[in-house]
Amino acid sequence: MAPFELVVPSSVEEAVAALRAADPAETAVLAGGTDLLLDVDEHRIDPRRVVSLRRLPWRTLDWTGGVLTVGSTLPLRSLEMDPEVARRYPALVQAVGAVGSVALRHRATLGGNLVRSAPASDLVPVLLAYDAVVDLVGPRGDRSVPVDRFIQASRKVDLERGELVRSIRLPEPRPSAYLWQRVRPANDISQVAVALAFAPHERSWRVAVAGVAPRPTLLADVAEHLGRGRPDEAAVARAARLASERSKFQTDRRASEEYRRRLVATLLRRAIGSVLRAGGVPP
Amino acid sequence: MTRAIVRLTVNEHAVERSDVPDDERLLDTLRWRLALKGTKEGCRTGDCGACTVLVDGQSALSCLTLTREVEGRSITTIEAGPTDARVARVRAAFEAAGALQCGYCTPGFVMSLAGALTEQGASASRAELLEALGGNLCRCTGYGAILRAVDRLRVEGP
Repeated sequence: MAPFELVVPSSVEEAVAALRAADPAETAVLAGGTDLLLDVDEHRIDPRRVVSLRRLPWRTLDWTGGVLTVGSTLPLRSLEMDPEVARRYPALVQAVGAVGSVALRHRATLGGNLVRSAPASDLVPVLLAYDAVVDLVGPRGDRSVPVDRFIQASRKVDLERGELVRSIRLPEPRPSAYLWQRVRPANDISQVAVALAFAPHERSWRVAVAGVAPRPTLLADVAEHLGRGRPDEAAVARAARLASERSKFQTDRRASEEYRRRLVATLLRRAIGSVLRAGGVPP
Repeated sequence: MTRAIVRLTVNEHAVERSDVPDDERLLDTLRWRLALKGTKEGCRTGDCGACTVLVDGQSALSCLTLTREVEGRSITTIEAGPTDARVARVRAAFEAAGALQCGYCTPGFVMSLAGALTEQGASASRAELLEALGGNLCRCTGYGAILRAVDRLRVEGP
């Protein structure tokens, strides 16, 4: 493994310029590094230059205009420990708490998790359920992309040469829950995970699943079955059955396709129960 | 190749090195350049927690941390025992509970708990302490005694 050179820009402009000038095939961007350095160690990538974001002013949590904006390099643990985030975005904190371990979350970041775009990411499904928006900076200026479009496939996102994720916006607090199943609670990847949220203004549900191919996915037709408020038992049963049928599960070393189909129905039913018990969903 | 000097505080001592490659992990700097062998390499993939140290009081996996990324920060390792009150307290609880078998994972467990005491305060709940240990593995499966050390930590107070 050839050693890489670490570049530490001290401003956003400098970081964008450094990335624009660099050969993308030989350059990696370092946020928390908990995933990137593993890829280096396991020779999945062999960068000559690693651009560190640690001096950029993005370790922020902002509530301007009632919208939660999370700076891309804020450590996940800081997000998780914020009482206001826990109160207003419960599923976000549940999902952050499912990532790695406490020690890992002291360094791992939301921006890093998004850009790495793992098929079993705990954070992507929850961001989908909140209709989160990704704010980018780049050589051609700023732009914003809904998470659903930003995440394209495993390790593939809508990021042009020289672009960086500056922040992730969660436009409104929602009654929500995030439930997962895995072999080891910490430092493991979910076999299946379900993010559920109720959008109070639209009066509609969001259901997102992880553990599916090729990336965490919103299940719009399942959400429709839950109606415009508290679903009755028959609606919950229909939605759970549909989630089981529609999710694109595969068999891998973590779980079989059949097990995952059963699991998603159970997790969705439990998530609905949890959101309804917490209150905030109209009849 | 000339390298910039990297400055760290390690167990309250100022450290300056000009021989740290850009891609070197904090784990390797501690063990091989500073001869602090208490921090252990287990999996080197962030799964086992044996390499846990504190960076500005917060637990971190030194195998997945570049030394140069923690430039200017304060590192605490298991060797801080006598000078760091929290590390000393956790070490005493492990000794009193006999919470080790082969001992390889012990520094990681101790540092994860010391980090939890820093983050959650000396009166951290049992759930908070256990959450901090979620990323630590003991291959001897000596968890029973480790849990007794956690309980001792709580009963004995600060």
